Amino acid sequence: MGHHVTLPSNESVQLPAGHRLRRFPLIFGVVGVLCLAGSWFAAGGDHKAFYHSYLTAFLFGLSIALGALFFTLFQHAASAGWSVVVRRVAENLMAPLPIFALLFIPLWFGRHDLYHWTDLEHVAHDPVLLGKQGFLNEGFWMVRAAIYFGLWTLMSWWFRSKSIRQDSEGGTALSRLMQMRSYPAIMAFALTISFAAIDWGMSLDPHWYSTMWGVYYFAGSIVSAFAMLGFSVLLMQRWGLLQGIVTKDHFHDIGKLVFAFTVFWAYIAFSQYFLIWYANIPEETSFFHRRAVNTWYVLGIYLMIGHFGLPFFFLMGRTLKKIPWSLALGCVWIITFHYLDLYYVVMPNVHKSGITASLVDGLTAIGVLSIYIALAAWFLGKAALIPQKDPRLPESLAFQNF
Amino acid sequence: MSEPATRIYTEADQLADPIAERAPLVLGGYDFHSVTEVVAAVVDQKAPRAWWIALFASMSLLGIYGVSVAWLVWEGTGVWGLNNPVFWGWAIVNFVFWVGIGHAGTLISAILFLFRQKWRTGINRAAEAMTLFAVVCALSFPTIHVGRIWLLYWAIPLPNQMDAWPNFRSPLVWDFFAVSIYGTVSLLFWYTGLIPDLATMRDRARTKWKRLIYGFFALGWRGSNRHWQNYEAAYLILAALATPLVLSVHSIVSFDFATSQLPGWHTTIFPPYFVAGAIFSGFGMVMTLMVPSREWFGLKNLITIRHLENMAKIILLTGCIVGYAYAMEFFIAWYSGNPYEQFAFMNRMFGPYAWAYWTMVSCNVISPQLFWFKWCRTTPWFLFVVSIFVNIGMWFERFVIVVSSLSADFLVSSWDYYSPTIWDVGCFVGSFGLFFTLYTLFVRFVPQVALAEVKSVMPEADPHFEGYSHGGGQPPVASSAAPSTSEANSDHVETAPFGEPVAAVVTSIDGDQSDGDSADNENGSEGEVE
Repeated sequence: MGHHVTLPSNESVQLPAGHRLRRFPLIFGVVGVLCLAGSWFAAGGDHKAFYHSYLTAFLFGLSIALGALFFTLFQHAASAGWSVVVRRVAENLMAPLPIFALLFIPLWFGRHDLYHWTDLEHVAHDPVLLGKQGFLNEGFWMVRAAIYFGLWTLMSWWFRSKSIRQDSEGGTALSRLMQMRSYPAIMAFALTISFAAIDWGMSLDPHWYSTMWGVYYFAGSIVSAFAMLGFSVLLMQRWGLLQGIVTKDHFHDIGKLVFAFTVFWAYIAFSQYFLIWYANIPEETSFFHRRAVNTWYVLGIYLMIGHFGLPFFFLMGRTLKKIPWSLALGCVWIITFHYLDLYYVVMPNVHKSGITASLVDGLTAIGVLSIYIALAAWFLGKAALIPQKDPRLPESLAFQNF
Repeated sequence: MSEPATRIYTEADQLADPIAERAPLVLGGYDFHSVTEVVAAVVDQKAPRAWWIALFASMSLLGIYGVSVAWLVWEGTGVWGLNNPVFWGWAIVNFVFWVGIGHAGTLISAILFLFRQKWRTGINRAAEAMTLFAVVCALSFPTIHVGRIWLLYWAIPLPNQMDAWPNFRSPLVWDFFAVSIYGTVSLLFWYTGLIPDLATMRDRARTKWKRLIYGFFALGWRGSNRHWQNYEAAYLILAALATPLVLSVHSIVSFDFATSQLPGWHTTIFPPYFVAGAIFSGFGMVMTLMVPSREWFGLKNLITIRHLENMAKIILLTGCIVGYAYAMEFFIAWYSGNPYEQFAFMNRMFGPYAWAYWTMVSCNVISPQLFWFKWCRTTPWFLFVVSIFVNIGMWFERFVIVVSSLSADFLVSSWDYYSPTIWDVGCFVGSFGLFFTLYTLFVRFVPQVALAEVKSVMPEADPHFEGYSHGGGQPPVASSAAPSTSEANSDHVETAPFGEPVAAVVTSIDGDQSDGDSADNENGSEGEVE
């Protein structure tokens, strides 16, 4: 069916020369580097605490970028029409993925502080860890990390550059090509994100295991990426971009996705907790037992309310999803709680008696997020703000929710 | 509009997979009226001999079910092949199998509705009916499995003199609630969607009794704007309520196993893995039913090759998710360092039930991979064959989970091999009789394609469809587009879609008032339709 729309002009979908987003890469880049450097000194020699805080921040930033990658892949796979006007923003949010390979280097230096399976002396006296040595050993761990970053870099670069090429070439051939490649890419994505979650998150407590773990990290990743996408587009619109291109109906849809995946996260988190609680097998309950003390217990309750209960009711109706400030509030809320969720996963391994919030936590989180934002903003300025010759653009521009 | 109103779409248009526009969902040049005629013909006409043969065959199988269940109730569950340690056998396998199949209907009608997947309209009615019948089959198995079925009501928390209550901590009680709620909501949802179509059937009825019965169930539907508004609101709310049920029911079924401590049953990925498997098997069964249905009932222009291809894609996706879960379970069993876990999975692969395990893997993980090829996704007979494999594979999945874990439990001295008896087979095969009897009756008495919904996704239903007045003629994105003059000036009287059917698919026609009404109101706000 035809869509009665006029395509936006080329000038209206470029980031203007003096736009404040043009200053983001420099500002956030400097802030990010300063915060990360400062966090090292703020830790004051407590390397164990520093590396755990840093890992939390790393997994946090990475999860948003990975979620954006998944969003992009899935729009191609499902030949989605509505999302074309926001797809470039998602592509810019996934584009910084290669930087995480660089940000991974500190984890290599901190591996002994983070992962006690790297301590061969200890492993030699632990039959369970001895049995896992075929998987949990430093060499293979690094090889796997290289594979993950290699594939993520390849996927984020390829899908973004092909999409940009379509801006000049137009036509349907590139759409078909991206759709074809999106299927194997999604399979690679599913395996890499699951095993990355196992390598960097689950193996913090190498005795513990859960088949749900990969899905759990994925669930948090996808919901925070949707929230980040929504927030980015809202901000861009507030600053005069994408006017008349992204409409209430698109925001409504992004809001619905944030809502749906908030529920999905809760479903996955509940299923994992519930099955472990019910069966009550000591090998498995150790994870929640460690988090059932003192303020960690309180944080667990807060996660239930804040990562599920409140946003569930807040984002359910259509009104609040269509008002920019309330959707923005929902998005920031979800991203914040996603950080707390990862905090709940990582930090009890070092602060065993309860939450010990410190400046280092804040500085590492702001540092990694700032570097991520700086790069995403840099990529934003490098190409048109929407895939302007995507054959489905008219459909997306005409999109209405009814 | 890029296409003239009289364009007749064919399968080739769909298979070309246009990127810039959406492939048509209704082929053969049907207009609103011919859609009604084609679908209602199955119900209106005298039942053909083939239908009687199908009914007779289904009822014969149902008879086997009746005999098997009667003997079971008379004699007790000892007639099955259950032994110690395999206390759960085919009955629970069949229960999970049928509940799983039931999931596709609700996914198609509720989740795909929320995702605005317009192609769902061609198949949602039949898929949801199939869901209801699958749930009936599923519920029959726990019912007969309790042994003393006259005490089944004990599962309901009724206040009683003995102060005996069901154990609310038992997943089996959750099952009772989950499946009952699922059945109820699915029925309500299905019925709500049926109301406009029942009114169409009422208005077409040629005998008094038909008119009375369809009229009773049509709840006085007249197709007024107010009716449509209430209907749309109810439909959306029911879809929202049914959506979590798609996830919750099979999650709770998975809890039957996963809350235990038995290696091979207790694993945290079970809930989403079971849900994916349920959707996988459900789409397998929808495919098994739709491929012959569209052929026999002449519905190829409504349940098109595109619908089949989309279902094949979902089968491929869910098959891969199931494959992921198998792999993750296997990996974590090794990674856990727990020798019991490790044994359970090695025993599945290479133990006495290895034949069942590899049947499962071949059918569930390998056979859907054929759907990477377009030919496989768009060749009906091939889809039918693979869908049978999917059904087989998913039955074996439950068999592998239930039996292989139980038969080799914690005490080696009590290990035993499970073999079914003739009565196990009778109950299972017979349950297909129940299913197909209900389905055969359904296609005869209810329009098996959702008429009103299919019409809503046809080009004519678009308020901006060529030939309709536009009022102000405002395009969807007001800020960026100028009013289209060619649209406003087009002569809507001559090209109105209510003319004669374009393709010669329809014979003679009675008056079809409600049909016209439904079409009008599908077009959106009042005043846009002449």
